[in-house]
Amino acid sequence: MPINFTVSGTRSRERLRSRRQQTPCPGNRDGYHHALLRWVALLSLGASGGLHADDSFVRDGEAGFVLSHIEYALSQDAQETGACPEGMSSSVSEIFSRTPAGRRRNGESDADYAQRLGKGGKALATGPGGEDLCQHPEAGKPDPYFHTVEQANIPAFGIDIDGVASSTGAAPAPNTCPHDDLIGMNGEPGIDNQFFRVVGCNRSFQSTGQSNTFATEMLTGSWGILLTLAGVDDIYNDDSIEVGFYSNADPIKLSPTRVPLAYATYLSDPDPRFRATAHGRITNGVLTTDPTDVRFHYTVNSMLLERPLRRARLQATLSNDGEIEGYLAGYAPLEELYDLKFGFRNGKTSAGELAPLHLRSLSSNGAAFVLGHTCTGAYHALYAHADGDPDPQTGKCTSISMQYRVRAIPAFVVDSEANAAQAKVTVVSE
Amino acid sequence: MKAWEKATAPGTSWRCRVGRFLAFTGICLFFAQAAGCGDGRPHESIVEPQPVGGPLLVRRLTESQYRATVADIFGPDIPVAARFERGIRAEGLQAIGTSESGMSPFGVEQYDAAAQSIADAVLSEGRRDQYMPCIPAAGVAFDAQCAALFFDRYGPRLLRRPMLTGEVDRYVNLAEQGNARLGSFYEGLKFALIGLMVSPEFLLRIENAAPTSENGGPRQLDAYSMATRLSYFLTNSTPDQALLEAAIAGDLATQEGLARQVDRLIASPGFEKAVRAFFEDMLEFELFDDLAKDPLIYPAFNSDVAADAREQMLLTISDHLIKQDGDYRDLFTTRNTYLTRDLGIVYRLPVATRKGWEPAVFPEGGGRQGIHTDIGFLALHSHPGRSSPTLRGKAVREVFLCQEVPDPPANVNFSVVQDPSSTNMPTARDRLDAHRTEPSCAGCHKIMDPLGLTLENFDGLGAYRTRENGAVIDASGSLDGTEFDTPQGLAQALHDHPETPRCLVEKMYRFAVGRDTVWDERAYMDYLIETFRTNGYRVPALMRTIALSKNFFVISAEGTPRDEFTSTGLQAQEGGRS
Repeated sequence: MPINFTVSGTRSRERLRSRRQQTPCPGNRDGYHHALLRWVALLSLGASGGLHADDSFVRDGEAGFVLSHIEYALSQDAQETGACPEGMSSSVSEIFSRTPAGRRRNGESDADYAQRLGKGGKALATGPGGEDLCQHPEAGKPDPYFHTVEQANIPAFGIDIDGVASSTGAAPAPNTCPHDDLIGMNGEPGIDNQFFRVVGCNRSFQSTGQSNTFATEMLTGSWGILLTLAGVDDIYNDDSIEVGFYSNADPIKLSPTRVPLAYATYLSDPDPRFRATAHGRITNGVLTTDPTDVRFHYTVNSMLLERPLRRARLQATLSNDGEIEGYLAGYAPLEELYDLKFGFRNGKTSAGELAPLHLRSLSSNGAAFVLGHTCTGAYHALYAHADGDPDPQTGKCTSISMQYRVRAIPAFVVDSEANAAQAKVTVVSE
Repeated sequence: MKAWEKATAPGTSWRCRVGRFLAFTGICLFFAQAAGCGDGRPHESIVEPQPVGGPLLVRRLTESQYRATVADIFGPDIPVAARFERGIRAEGLQAIGTSESGMSPFGVEQYDAAAQSIADAVLSEGRRDQYMPCIPAAGVAFDAQCAALFFDRYGPRLLRRPMLTGEVDRYVNLAEQGNARLGSFYEGLKFALIGLMVSPEFLLRIENAAPTSENGGPRQLDAYSMATRLSYFLTNSTPDQALLEAAIAGDLATQEGLARQVDRLIASPGFEKAVRAFFEDMLEFELFDDLAKDPLIYPAFNSDVAADAREQMLLTISDHLIKQDGDYRDLFTTRNTYLTRDLGIVYRLPVATRKGWEPAVFPEGGGRQGIHTDIGFLALHSHPGRSSPTLRGKAVREVFLCQEVPDPPANVNFSVVQDPSSTNMPTARDRLDAHRTEPSCAGCHKIMDPLGLTLENFDGLGAYRTRENGAVIDASGSLDGTEFDTPQGLAQALHDHPETPRCLVEKMYRFAVGRDTVWDERAYMDYLIETFRTNGYRVPALMRTIALSKNFFVISAEGTPRDEFTSTGLQAQEGGRS
C-alpha cells in the first residue's frame, strides 16, 4: 500500500474545534477571540507556507525532531569564573607525583618516570582489598584532590528545576535535599545544576576538555535522541501538547560537511525503557513539559551504556522553521550516572551481555588518567552533592540535578517500518 | 509522392492536413500541433503505410546492453570490470549516437579489460564446470573438439547468429595457440574467448540484409539482424535461444511467428529493462555522471541522493507504464512515486522503510506532480549552486516535446543571472527579466523561461520552496498558449500538449532503429502516433506496434546491403555444421 501524504491542518482544526467546544465559556468573548486569533494565526501560517505540505515542520498537529547537538549545561571556564579556588582536580598519577615517593629522581628518564608514575597511580586506584576502585568506588575514601564548585554565586547554564530558589531561604522542594542553587548566566536565581558543581573543577569539563564533546558520537551514529510533538494547534501558544522522548534506532543523517540534516526519517526505539511522553505547553514560543522519566542510549569504547534522567523536563524555544533550542533538565540516579560518566561498570556488548571486565576496567581507569580525575573522587562527590530523590530510610539523596543544552531540528519520527515493509520494491538491475 | 503531398495526404482530418501543410512549409510547427493531429477521433482502421525503412546500420552496444548481454549469457554474477566510454548523444538520443560514433584507443582498452574479467570468471577453476560443455581429454596436447563445443555453445549467443564453420575453427585455433603459449587448455580457451569478445562482431550490431524481398518489395533485414533489433529493442539484451531458433526456422518472416516472439519478449522480465533503457536515454541520464551540487548550499545532496533520484524516476516510469499499463501522458500529472530515506530528506516526506524503496504519493496541492517535478529532473537541469529556469525550460522543450532550442550566442553577458544572492533582484524571474533586455537573448528565453519559471518553487536540488532571498516566488508561466501559475498547471499543460505523445513516439522509434527519422517516414510516424492514441497512449502497445511493423525491418532504397553473412549464406554454413 502506498503511503498517502495529506496536507496538514485538518486534524489540527478538528482538534481546535473540539477543544473550543470543550471550553466551558459560552458568551465568553475573550475565549472566542482567543480561538479566533488562533484560527487567524493558523491560516496566516498556512498562507505563508508555514503549513505547506512540503514546507512545514508541523503536519496534522504533529512534529518530529532529532537532536542535532547536546552538551552538559555547565558554565564558563573556572579560570574565568573563579569557581575553583583550590585548583583543578587531579588524576591518580598526578596525585602520586605530589608524594615524596612520586617525585622525580635525579637522572630518571622521562620514560622511566612515566612508568613509575603509572604504577604509583595504579596503586592509588586500588583498594585495600586489591579492588579496582573505578569498578568499586564505594571501597575507596573521598578524594581530597577531587575539587568541586562550592561557591553559591557562580553562574551556570540551566533552569530552575525544583521551583525553589535556595537564596530565598525557602524550604527545599519536595523530593529534594537541601542544596545551594547556582545563578543563571543572566543572573536569574534558583538554577539547579549540582552536576556542574561536581565536575566544574575537572579540566576535562572546561571548554577545551574532552568530556563535553560526547555529541561527536551521536554524529557518528552510535546513538541519538528523538523528540515528538502531538496536538500542536499553534506553534507559538498552545496550552496542551504531548511531547515524546525517544532513543533513536537509526544513525543520524549528516551532510557531506557533517552537519545534521533536517527532515530525515528515524525509527524510534521500540524498547519501552527508551520511550517516554510528557504533557507540555507552548507559551510565547517557549516549549515546556511536565516532568517525566527518560532514558537514552550511549556508548563508550563500543560498550553500550544508558543515560537516564528522572523527572526530566524540556524547556526550549521553538522557532518558526522548527528548531528547538534549550534545556533538558532533571535528576540523574547517582549509581547510573557514575556508570555512565566514570565507571562504566554496567557497560554491555552489542549482544546485550556485560562487557568483559578488562574493557570496563581499562576504560574507566584510562578515562580517569586522561581526563584528570579519580573514580573515588567523582563517586563520593556525586553523593556529596546529590539533591534529588531522598532515600526514605536514610534521607540521603540518590540522584543529582543535571542539565543538558540541546538543539533539535525537524525530522520524521516513525514507530515502525512494518507498513512500508509490506510494499517493498524490487529494483531492476541493468 | 512529394513530401508536401504526403503532408497533406487524404485519409486524415482537414485540421491535420492544414496543420501539417503549415508545419511542412515551416510557417509554424506549433499550429500543426494545436490543430489536434494525433488527438482527434479514432480512425476506423489504422493501416501501416507502405514501409520506407532506413539504411543498414552498425551500432555499438551500449554499456547497459553489454552488461545485460554478458549477464544473460553467463549469469549476473560474472563481473564486467571496465569503465566504458560515455556514449555520444546524436539527434537527442544516445541510441542514435551508437551508430554514429567511433571507438577511442581507451575504449578498446576497456573492452579488452572487460573481456578479460569475463573470461577469467567464466573459465576460473571454481566456475568452469558450470560453463564447459565437455571435459578436455587428458593426455592430449590440446582437445580441439572440446574447444569447438565451447564456441558452438556460446558463439551464437555472443555474435547473435549461428557460428560459421570457419569462425569456429578460427577461435579453436586461437585457443590452441593460447594453450601452446600459456601451457593450459583453459588459459588457451580464455585467450580465444577474449578475442571473440573484443571482435567487432560482438561489440557492434552489424546489420545485414536478406538477399531478396518477397514479391519484389523493399528488402529487409535478414533473420538474425531482425532478431537482434527485436531483442535489443524489447529486452535491451542479446537474442535468447528461443529467438535465435525462431530466426533460424524462418519464423520471423511470418507475421504470426514475429508476433509470437514479440509478445513473448514483451512478457519477459527483460522488457522492463528495455523500457528503462529507453527512458534513461530520453531523459539524458548520462548527465548524472557529472551531477554536482555545492554542499554548503544543498547539504542534503550526495552521491546516494543522486543515484536514488535517478532510480526514483525509472521506478515511477516502470510502475506506471508497465505494471499499471498507464497512459504515458499521465506521467506528467501523477503524484505516485517511490522514495528512499535519502530522498525523503529532500522531499521533506517521511520514509518508514529503513533500507530500500517504498511506494508513496506526493501530497495533493504540495507542488509535486509529474516526473518533471522529481528531483532527478530538477537537479539535473540546474546549476551546482542555483536553480535554472532556462535550463529547465530548455530540457522540457527538448526532452519531452522534441523541440530544439538554439544554443546561446557566444558573447552573452551572464553576470546578472549568475548572481543568485542579488538583493535588488531576489528571484530568478527578476534576474532573467533583466537579462532578457539584451535583444540577442530575448528570443530564446521567451521559449524557455515561461516554462522554467513555473518550476522555480523548486531550488537547485529540487527541494520545495516558496521564497527566494526572502521574496515570494511567482511561479506563473505558459506553454505554447496555455497559461498557468503553479507547477500543477504546467503538469496539466504537458499532459495535454499534442507534442507530448508525438515526441515520445518519435523518440521511441528512433531509439528502436538507431537513427533519425526521414521525411518519407512521416506517414509511418503518423500511423504510430494514431495507433498510440487509439491504444490509450500505452507504451508497451506502442513498442509492440513498432516491433510488428514492416517499417521496423525494411531497408530503404538508399541502404547498401552487404552480401556477406546473408541469412542464406548463414543457413548454408549452419547446415554444414549441424
